[in-house]
Amino acid sequence: MPADADTPQRAPFALGQDLADLRLLHLADSALPIGSLAHSFGLESLEAAGILQVSGLADFFRGYLEEAGLVEAVFCRAAFRLASTGPAQFSLDQWRGLNEQLAARKPARESRAASASMGHNFLLTVLALGEFPIVSEALAAAKRPPAVAIHHGAAFGLVSGALGFDEDRAVLAWLHQTIANMVSACQRLLPLGQTEAARILWNLKGTMIETAARSATCLLDDACGFMPLLEWGAMEHPALATRLFVS
Amino acid sequence: MNYTPTVQTTAREAGAAILTPGGVCATLALDFARDAASGRTVLAASSQEPPLRVVRAFPLADGAALAHLHNVSGGLLGGDHLTLSVNAGAGASVQLTTTGATRIYRPRAGAAETTQANDIRVAEDALLEYLPDPLIPFAGARYAQRTSIHLAHGAGLFWWEIVAPGREARGEVFQYERLEMKTDLIANGRLIAAERLRLEPRNHALASLARLGPYHYWATFYICRVGLDAGTWLTTETHLREVATQLSRPGESLWGISTLVADGLVVRGVARRGRDVIAGLHAAWREAKLRLYGREAIPPRKVN
Repeated sequence: MPADADTPQRAPFALGQDLADLRLLHLADSALPIGSLAHSFGLESLEAAGILQVSGLADFFRGYLEEAGLVEAVFCRAAFRLASTGPAQFSLDQWRGLNEQLAARKPARESRAASASMGHNFLLTVLALGEFPIVSEALAAAKRPPAVAIHHGAAFGLVSGALGFDEDRAVLAWLHQTIANMVSACQRLLPLGQTEAARILWNLKGTMIETAARSATCLLDDACGFMPLLEWGAMEHPALATRLFVS
Repeated sequence: MNYTPTVQTTAREAGAAILTPGGVCATLALDFARDAASGRTVLAASSQEPPLRVVRAFPLADGAALAHLHNVSGGLLGGDHLTLSVNAGAGASVQLTTTGATRIYRPRAGAAETTQANDIRVAEDALLEYLPDPLIPFAGARYAQRTSIHLAHGAGLFWWEIVAPGREARGEVFQYERLEMKTDLIANGRLIAAERLRLEPRNHALASLARLGPYHYWATFYICRVGLDAGTWLTTETHLREVATQLSRPGESLWGISTLVADGLVVRGVARRGRDVIAGLHAAWREAKLRLYGREAIPPRKVN
């Protein structure tokens, strides 16, 4: 396997699978500095209201994957497919439209802002790692007036497509990092130990695979999500007197 | 980029209602206009196909027109493909309600899914208040609803929908087969809210904490006035959140509120009992209308 430093940045479609896998692991890591640890996406309010408890977490995240997880996975794939056409075919209007649609699917202001902040930070971080023309263009296009917020799921798909990752692996990685971040938030909110947190994440992988598979053939218009309790939590979050998280 | 919904309203031929295998294909089209001389809103034109019907529009004290949406067959039958088309002309003020809950019946074997398409247009400086009774999906019901709401500059909207778990009194809770609702809210060509939900209680438990948890009813309430700046919406969100907090009683009902991408707010409510949902929606409506229009909300009189 070639060393990363020896690999040219200019030829994403020529990358070896091993390097692509390592890059995907890197970009899906919660340690990537994009602010993911600052957000609970409404979990903090659910905990404060006594709705969310450790005993219900596995079921909660299974439902999350079936609903919001599917929606995000479908948008992640759509962005992947936009970018994987290559720089010449990449449609900036479709990219903007995709993000506008994803924003409209997020009714809670704080969660929408969190997703947009992380999406923007994600693209900036990637551009600090190398030169990727589609990613640069996507960032510039979003800033074109009227500016469009870049959402994390779409940004992850875009980068994965631009860097030549495997589509299914990228979607799986997206789902995995999403749930890992939320489980991590629960560790700070609830009496959830590391071993139990690891067990929850471990046991959800089958649902992640099912969700990723469903997303492969799901049209954007058919990507449905119904999570009224979590949405309530996200909407109520600004009213919390003491907050660990930004959202 | 102007947003165009990807799925259009139900395709149908013009003219009389069309009987389809196991159901009916019918449209109710309502065209409201503001009478320049009197300043009152009138039902300027309508096209009505059974089972959909509006008897007349009633004048309200504030100059608005109130119309009751009837379904003379008593509810939605399997295979029905119904379309509601509403146009509120420039400066018009319209209030729409139903005469009672919308019942979605169990389809006969082999009948197609019941569909309802709502195509709503609110012109410059017009206001539409859509305040229906709950949707009650019976055991075995299969229902798909598609709503597109287009708001012009200055247009206002109060639009709520309530979904009941079924016929609770007979112990029928979440026994419908499938309920799909797709809503696009477009202001000045910009998509500001898009809801996509598909509930299949047999496959995905609604009692999961990821969905409704212990609650049985849920409601969505969109509050819009196109052209108001983001700061006004944030202030309104803060004000209405106080109302929502007062209404919320964990274990009984929860109310949340948020600004949309632009031009409006959304209120989400979940409750154990239907009456809590209706009371909460009315409270939010009263506050929002006073704040955004400086006018009292006038609860629709029912005709039955």
